This record gives sequence, structure tokens and C-alpha cells, in this order.
Amino acid sequence: MANTQNVNYAKAFTAGIWQENPTFRLLIGMCPPLAVTTAVKPALTMGLSVIFVLVCSNLVVSLMRNLLKPHLRIIMFTLTIATFVTIADLFLKAFQPEMSEVLGPYVPLIIVNCIIIFRAEVCASKSGMLVSILDGFGMGIGFTIALCILAGIREVLATGCLVGLRVMPDGFVPWAAMQMPVGAFVTLGLLLGLSSLLTAKKAS
Amino acid sequence: MSSFLFGLTIAVANAAWSAKIEQNKKEKLDKLMTGLIYNAKTFEIVLENLEVPYQRGKTTATNVYKALDSAGQCVGFSFVASGPGFADKIELVVATDGGFEHILGYNVLSCSETPGFGDKIKTDYYRSQFSGPPAESFTVVKTGDSKLIDNQIVAISGATVSSAAVVKIFNTYIEQIKKQLQTKGLIK
Repeated sequence: MANTQNVNYAKAFTAGIWQENPTFRLLIGMCPPLAVTTAVKPALTMGLSVIFVLVCSNLVVSLMRNLLKPHLRIIMFTLTIATFVTIADLFLKAFQPEMSEVLGPYVPLIIVNCIIIFRAEVCASKSGMLVSILDGFGMGIGFTIALCILAGIREVLATGCLVGLRVMPDGFVPWAAMQMPVGAFVTLGLLLGLSSLLTAKKAS
Repeated sequence: MSSFLFGLTIAVANAAWSAKIEQNKKEKLDKLMTGLIYNAKTFEIVLENLEVPYQRGKTTATNVYKALDSAGQCVGFSFVASGPGFADKIELVVATDGGFEHILGYNVLSCSETPGFGDKIKTDYYRSQFSGPPAESFTVVKTGDSKLIDNQIVAISGATVSSAAVVKIFNTYIEQIKKQLQTKGLIK
């Protein structure tokens, strides 16, 4: 674990990618996986935004961890996260206006994404700077991979295309349901089942 | 101290990118207005910072643009209209013909309505009801023929509040702007 005394940097980074993947293993921050996975591009943009916020907030929380008063820590985490989310939102509005529009309220909603406050509380407030940054990257990458897998499956089945490129044969009939919320729930459910199966197989 | 530092960080980011964000908004507005008034080549402001009621006791300012074709003839009017929606503010780009007699349509500039429900105000199904009706007061009805172009707007199923919000925005702005353009002698 990232917060143990004998710090294993590689483990701090890789934990979030599979072993403690926020979407497939911990089932936290489930709003974006359901809401912004109709196509790979918005999913990737959301993932990159979350990586930015996670790394920056982990870094700042780690730096101020010795100054934090226990009763004020949640307020400080929220202030830190809100600052970086606002910066990410402004950046997207300025340089990726189309993606900003597609993602709509889901970028500001990163503020209430529990992955970020969870990592601030569990890791960054108890660990050094490097571990916190690696943890942020690992968790963010794990989250982004999960979003992209979900979005890839949904985009292919809903449109026959992947990142705008045709990948299905001409006779393929698009599954309109995959673009609707039901598509997100069904795909996520199947992927969660698959991840549990893989974990159970590995354990046995 | 930390609040000050965080606030300062946001202020710096905002100062650095606000010009670019405004430019993006302007480009988007031009694109949306041209999409509604097909033969428009240029737009010029005819009413600047017109105060329009937004919510109880509050007003908002908007610019009214005159659309000119390649011969310099007025082919329509366009403006940004906003009002409270179900989730947050809804901003629309509305266009009328040159005589301000008929609505040409609207495009959504920004809206945070519920995905899958309220955000259907962006769809052709709902928007097409505003392509061609007289520029007068609109009413929302729950059932009816949405293909009939008149001043009765059939609400989106499951999103009556958002549908009514769009109609309210139209009713507020059309009346005010028509009055102002008549006063200025720009329309009859």
C-alpha cells in the first residue's frame, strides 16, 4: 500500500491501475463511467482531467499534510480539489471548447468525485510527495483506462466506429441502446463481472 | 491564507485564459447565428446591452444583431436569450426574419439540463417547432402535433420544465426586442 512506512514506489503507481482500480475494483467515482462513456474522445478527456486534478491535489495535500488540523482537513481537501477542477474546466473551455461542451457539467462535478477526496485522505495526507504523485498518476491512469474500455465498447456497438473510424462491417446494425444510460449500466455490469472473474481465477 | 492562495491561482488562470474563452464564445455565436440565417454574411449590433428581465427582480443584458446579406440588405435579426432552466441557466441564440415577423429558429449556446431529458431542447424534434412560427407569444402544451408550426409548443416528454423554460425565454425576449426595434424604426 502507498501509505505504509516501507514505501514501494512501483506499487504506489501500479495499485490504481488494476489491484485497486477505482472503477473495477473499488467501485468509487462511478458517475463519469456511466455518464461520459458514449464515445472514447470525451472519456479520454475526462480521464486526463481527473489525472491532472488527482496528481495536483495529491501533491498539494501531501505538501500541507503536517499543517492540517484534523477538523479542518476535509475543508482543505475540498478547497484544493475545487481549485484544480476550476483550472481544468477553464483550460478545456479555452483550448478544447468542443470537448468542454460535450462533457458539460461533468467536468465541474469532478469536485465531488470521491476518488480524489479518497486518495487525499487515504494516501496524500499520510505520505510523501513522490508517493502521492505516483499514487495520483496510478489511480488516474487506472480510471482513464476503465473509462476508455467502457467508452470503446459502447462507441463500437452504438455507432460501428471507434474514435470516429469505422471498425464494424457494412452490414452491422448499430445498437442504439448502447448510447443510452442502459448501455452504460449493462456494459459496466458485464465488465465488473469479468474483472471479478479474472480476480477470482488469479486468486485460485 | 490557503483560501487566498487558491483564489489567486484561479484568478491567474482565469486572467490568462478568459480572452481565449471569450473568443471561442464569439466564434461559436457567429457560427450559430449563421446557421440560423443562411444568407447572412455579416452581423452588426443594432441594440447594445439591452436590459431584459431574467428572473424576479433581476435583469440581464443582451446585444441584438442585424444580419446583412452580401448586398447589405437586412435578412434577419439575432440575439442571445437566456433564462433559468431546470438545472441552470439556459442560453439560446434566437433568429428572426428581417421584418421580425417570424422566428427562423434557435440554437443552444449553453445548457446544463438533465442529460437524456431536459437536454433534448437541443434536438431537432423540439427545435423544429420554432422554425417558422410568428414572432409572438408562445404557449406550452403537453400533447399535440409537434409538426404543426404555430405558437403552441409541444413539451418534451419528461422534461416539461425545460420545455417551458425555453418558451418563457422566447416570450420574454421577443416582446421586449420587438418593442425596442419598433421604437428605433428598424422594423414596422
